[in-house]
Amino acid sequence: MKNTLIYIDQENIINSIELLEVARQIHADQEYQSFGLLINQQIENKYLGEFDSIINIKDQNIKSYDQLALTDVIEELQNEYQFESIIIPATHIGRMLAPRLAMRLHVGLVADVTEIKKDEKSLELIRPAFSGRIMAGIETNAKKPIMLTVRQNVFTHHIDQNKELKMINYQPNNYNKAEIDLLEKKQCELSYDIRESEILVSGGGGALKDFEQIKNLADKLNAEVSASRKIIDDGKASRNIQVGQSGKTVSPELYIALGISGAIEHVAGLKNIENIISVNINKNAPICSLSDIVVVGDAIEFVKKLANKLEKN
Amino acid sequence: MKIICLVKYVPNVEDIKYDYEKNILIRDNVKLILNPDDACAVAFALELKEHQPEHEIEVITMGPKSVKPFVEDLLRRNVDKASIISDKLFAGSDTYATSKILSHYLKDKEFDCILTGTNSLDGDTSHIPSQIGELLGLNQMSNITKIDLARFKKTKAVIEVENGENVLTYAMQLPAILSLRKESDYKLPYIEYENMSLDVSDRLDIISNQELGLAKEEIGLKGSLTKVVNTYNKNFEEKDKVVVENNEEGIDFVYSFLKKKGFV
Ligand SMILES: Cc1cc2nc3c(=O)[nH]c(=O)nc-3n(C[C@H](O)[C@H](O)[C@H](O)COP(=O)(O)OP(=O)(O)OC[C@H]3O[C@@H](n4cnc5c(N)ncnc54)[C@H](O)[C@@H]3O)c2cc1C
Ligand SMILES: Nc1ncnc2c1ncn2[C@@H]1O[C@H](COP(=O)(O)O)[C@@H](O)[C@H]1O
Repeated sequence: MKNTLIYIDQENIINSIELLEVARQIHADQEYQSFGLLINQQIENKYLGEFDSIINIKDQNIKSYDQLALTDVIEELQNEYQFESIIIPATHIGRMLAPRLAMRLHVGLVADVTEIKKDEKSLELIRPAFSGRIMAGIETNAKKPIMLTVRQNVFTHHIDQNKELKMINYQPNNYNKAEIDLLEKKQCELSYDIRESEILVSGGGGALKDFEQIKNLADKLNAEVSASRKIIDDGKASRNIQVGQSGKTVSPELYIALGISGAIEHVAGLKNIENIISVNINKNAPICSLSDIVVVGDAIEFVKKLANKLEKN
Repeated sequence: MKIICLVKYVPNVEDIKYDYEKNILIRDNVKLILNPDDACAVAFALELKEHQPEHEIEVITMGPKSVKPFVEDLLRRNVDKASIISDKLFAGSDTYATSKILSHYLKDKEFDCILTGTNSLDGDTSHIPSQIGELLGLNQMSNITKIDLARFKKTKAVIEVENGENVLTYAMQLPAILSLRKESDYKLPYIEYENMSLDVSDRLDIISNQELGLAKEEIGLKGSLTKVVNTYNKNFEEKDKVVVENNEEGIDFVYSFLKKKGFV
């Protein structure tokens, strides 16, 4: 029986659990057991039900941001359980932890995986390369464990059966602590997460001149505002709402693209979106061919007109 | 304090070329730029030195020799010393091999702090800083948007990190590796007029594997644990779009679409 370990990061618990789908795609051809690693966290069993086992560590000396301690702990677990693969979400911490751990275990690491291709002979981990222009299929050397970080919100796993969950309370023997203290934690100004939005009204270069107007339309649609990198680089909005390769992957039910060209790096962040409306002065902009409706014209004019219409009705 | 900045010159993504047969990136003849995150790292170090001139800054980069003029430009901006780690044998190194090469050079150096970028534009893995951290036994932090200048001491730094949801302030023991992000917005100073064509060759070293003495199995493609085996073009599903004008009719069309789909 093969074992696989998924690191459950408190930064994105739900998506960490969804990485069970990645484990399935890598190991489904054989019998395997999934282990989730929970450190100093309390999560209801119903969310964890699809794991075979949870390695539950409660030790206040291990801080969630202490890569040194975390690496030592997972190395110890690796020695004990001989995982065939270690899957880590590509969160802020995950992206620091995984390379350190891979170096410790002397194995290759593939970052930011978005797709998995598996056949009898080979396992290809696919990630965007060259700024998202192409996708690269990467193989790691035969040594175990296979290690990867997975781009957030790309894989989804539906819990359809609740297994008998085995809780393993584990106390690591030996780990070093990093000399680092968290002094303060402030919420970013933003109160929403575009990855969870049902409707996104998104602005780009063609909406630069009056980005504020977009909020007005969003309010009327009970929607949230997102943006292309053009807006972020121009300082009009925070990076938290950037959609795309170097921003977030979003899956709203409706995406309204206002003055966004649809560069490949932007489109890389659009996943399973049922409905796209784009407004562009150029009806041949790349985003238009992905859209259900293309409105040819000025983005801000459109925003005002549609907001008006919504107000009247 | 002695500060080391690890920087990478990256192909300007606009003119990236790729060898589809060998599956390697072709860096020759591509216009190079200083990776934006790394520019912030050097800029922070220079700002520090501006306040306290006793700080010493060394820039280290691994890459082709063609980066020399760029590195010289950094030396003309008040960086004290630079090393270019360059050897044909290093070509094709993945992040694992690259970290080994850089760490091999760093392990005999004295320093109080290593500054890097968080991501490189081309590799974009963010692996190098934490892997070097592991090899040198140092702590490391990515996504730094601010280093508190007033509280930057030989044994401790106070830093701000953005993880998407929160702004986190940490006190971190030095030596450590601090990885900045472009949003930190530290800007490289201009080269002062009288330094425009300053000869800086005595402050620039070019280091090959002759000096480093790494085994061939440890470096380049051979020393790499990951391998690009395929590349795919991205295909997006095209839709049967309806094109409307931005007039009353068009707005009505959009409105009834929203209505039909239950969005309003
Ligand atoms: C490493 C890397 C990573 C990147 N990551 C991202 C990312 O995560 N997200 C991202 O978005 N981009 C990313 N980019 C940038 C990307 O390549 C594009 O530059 C960016 O998406 C362009 O934004 P835009 O379409 O809003 O602006 P522009 O390219 O300026 O396009 C503006 C569009 O609006 C139209 N327009 C102009 N005026 C009007 C008007 N008055 N009314 C209506 N339409 C108008 C134009 O016809 C055009 O289609 C990345 C680039 C690199 C190199
Ligand atoms: N070849 C290199 N030479 C020096 N520093 C590098 C090199 N590659 C990466 N780095 C550093 O590591 C950071 C992250 O790069 P990467 O792991 O490629 O995303 C960069 O911002 C640099 O500071």
